[in-house]
Amino acid sequence: MLRITGGKVYDPANGIDGVVKDLCIDDQGLFVPAVEGGRTIDATGMIVFPGGVDVHTHVAGGAINFARAMTPEDHRRTQAFIRTKSRRSGLGGMAPTTFATGYLYAGMGWTTVNEAAVPVLSARHTHEELADIPIVDKASLTLMANNEILLDQLEKGEFERAKQVLAWYLWSAKSYGIKAVNPGGVAAWKYGHDAKQLTSPIDGYSKLTPGVIVTHLARICDELGLPHPVHLHCNNLGAPGNISTTIDTLKHLEGHRAHIAHSQYHAYGGDGWDTMCSETAQLAEYFNAHPSITTDAGAVLFGDTVTITADGPWQHLLYKLTGRKWGNLDVENETGCGIVPYTYRPSNLVNAVQWAAGLELLLLIKNPWQVFLSTDHPNGGCFWRYPEIIELLMRADVRKESLLKLPDGIKGKITLPEIDREYSLYEVAISMSAGPARALGLFQKGNLGLGCDGDVVIYEEDENVRKMFGHPRYVIKGGEIVLEDGEIREAPSGREFIVKPPCDPGIDDFMRPLFEDCYTMSFENYPVEMERIHNPRMQDCIEVPR
Amino acid sequence: MQKSKFLPRGRKDRTMVLVDIRETKSAKAADIFLQVRPGKDFELITILRALIKDRQVSDQAIAETGLTREVIDDLIRRMKGAKFGCVFFGMGLSMTRGKHMNSAALLTLAAEMNAFTKFVAMPMRGHGNVTGADVIMRWQTGYPFGISFSRGYPRYNPGEFSTVDVLVRGDCDAAFIIGADPGATMPQPAIDHLKRIPTIVLDPHVTHTSKLSRVHITTAPQGIAAPGTAYRMDELPMPLKPALKSPYPSDEEVVRRINEAIAKKPFWLPDGSQPQMLNAQV
Repeated sequence: MLRITGGKVYDPANGIDGVVKDLCIDDQGLFVPAVEGGRTIDATGMIVFPGGVDVHTHVAGGAINFARAMTPEDHRRTQAFIRTKSRRSGLGGMAPTTFATGYLYAGMGWTTVNEAAVPVLSARHTHEELADIPIVDKASLTLMANNEILLDQLEKGEFERAKQVLAWYLWSAKSYGIKAVNPGGVAAWKYGHDAKQLTSPIDGYSKLTPGVIVTHLARICDELGLPHPVHLHCNNLGAPGNISTTIDTLKHLEGHRAHIAHSQYHAYGGDGWDTMCSETAQLAEYFNAHPSITTDAGAVLFGDTVTITADGPWQHLLYKLTGRKWGNLDVENETGCGIVPYTYRPSNLVNAVQWAAGLELLLLIKNPWQVFLSTDHPNGGCFWRYPEIIELLMRADVRKESLLKLPDGIKGKITLPEIDREYSLYEVAISMSAGPARALGLFQKGNLGLGCDGDVVIYEEDENVRKMFGHPRYVIKGGEIVLEDGEIREAPSGREFIVKPPCDPGIDDFMRPLFEDCYTMSFENYPVEMERIHNPRMQDCIEVPR
Repeated sequence: MQKSKFLPRGRKDRTMVLVDIRETKSAKAADIFLQVRPGKDFELITILRALIKDRQVSDQAIAETGLTREVIDDLIRRMKGAKFGCVFFGMGLSMTRGKHMNSAALLTLAAEMNAFTKFVAMPMRGHGNVTGADVIMRWQTGYPFGISFSRGYPRYNPGEFSTVDVLVRGDCDAAFIIGADPGATMPQPAIDHLKRIPTIVLDPHVTHTSKLSRVHITTAPQGIAAPGTAYRMDELPMPLKPALKSPYPSDEEVVRRINEAIAKKPFWLPDGSQPQMLNAQV
């Protein structure tokens, strides 16, 4: 039991904007009107937020683990967590180890994370890694937009069948929702090709186009009532002039819910690297006119990182551009993945445009419930650098100072210098917690209301925004004080959110022959067993209004 | 072999080329066998890297590999003509003259082949669940093997912290061995040290290492009488479902009980004697 008194509370889910009020958390870790006994935290003069929620990150599974293997030089120079009786050792850096991931997220007040890209074939592995990430609660999304069996159904126009196939895969992976990465492009990459036009048939298919995949996945997610809509990484990521592809994709989604991942990477104009510019104004305008679509920024911070994505063809291009290490993983007939270490430099015009574009989207999309803080960790920067972004959003003067470091050639390519907007604390609380929780359909998260999970972060008010958000005074997870005075005190295991969509029992008989024809493991061994999920928490499907 | 949309005839639609220093049993399964001269792997790979980019290579350089220009040209034609090429490589490459240089050259060749067609490379791992150990070490510590925890956090240096090096130098004063038989494979100085120190072995069988150990704990064999997970070479986890019952505990149970017993003892580093985190390693 815990009582937090006297703090200035920011709880956007309940419209509370900086009101001094007390919070109480019971033995089940839920907010209640009052408690008897237990500890009291005197938060007088402090700021109280709901625990952070990361809507899009890559912290567990085959891809990030491959990235860890590829970057020992970074592990050697980065933060090291020393083992104690209650805590495991680990390393931070570009691709932190699992235990360190939990400590780093909790260390800045984040209590829920969504691993955004899991192939079904490596779901078993991903769940094992997620179990090794302490403190935070977790969800994971299954990669579906390049799965051959599913694409074959869409090619044949068998929509109902496709819906059942997808539900079967989702439950096999024990995941929380659907991720689509470069629809059709990763399938084409198996043979060295890509899919860049939404209306051109994909290699190996006669009718199926990326546009068809996008529309149908969105519709399936709505009809199954998944709490989180289709989570889409659009075609043509990172390419100059890709704004037309992105707008085209958004038009294919009309009438459905959708979440667009890391939209910074999809908001470029120009027709080559020399002419590449930010087209965030156009993209933001679309979001401003379509309130049912959400996005995360995928903001870029200057410095070293490692890029990992299921977008295999893009990573091959990045390898050719940079000449750095390249890892490629093909996951049978399901998806693929590429890994390339990368350094974002302010002196590089393309990187400078990317840096500005991420911030522009966060500032130009008017409704903070539509655009969330993310760096697409580790692609645009590491998650533990979020406080730097918060500072850039809250302080126009810090932005102005940072703009001075960009090359002169940036003039006319970005709109950031003309933007004066500064985030309020209330807006930050939406962007880092309440907004992503609502978009994920995790109604018990990012919410300090009665009955919700007792996840709280308490900051000491400070002029130095980066310091304030980087070093919370207390972090409370499910009513337990996990961080106090800059030290991790407890490292309880987190839970995993999973969804069981409605599924026709006959689908097993339909899947078996198709599966046995092309997979290299047995049908019975494929679905992840429920007992392998650490602290599972079933989240109900919802009714999505048409 | 699996059939697929693009390879409807399964094995018949695939071409397998075996490169080895002698005609092994695998040659029978291959469509083409190329016998390379021992110790000339690096040279052959480098010649392939040059020729795929139409660079000039002398006849003498080719002759040194033990292959002819005709054979190499045919190989390149097949590689470039493939829809999806995959190179599998094993210890014959990584543990002979050149070692990691050979692997690096081969990985570069595979990457460079992507200028022409889709190409990948994948290491063939040793027996048992080597890949699984590797995968888990990576997510827990960032490194696959050769890790030292002596400073309370993971550090990596193959050649210094690898098992064989630690044993040969006599750095450790106890050894705990699971699912491996170093007594059968490691050099004599390493084995001698294992004999000197308390060595504990967990194994379903009596091994060379058990014979020189102080303690052998018999455990149930994974996948036969104990459940678990084994990672395939391509890092996909396969569940192990036991078919039999065993009177012996699983490796996992033994390790868990040892951990529980250790947890009751005072921690080796007094609380507060170490910082929680180092911002920069030394």
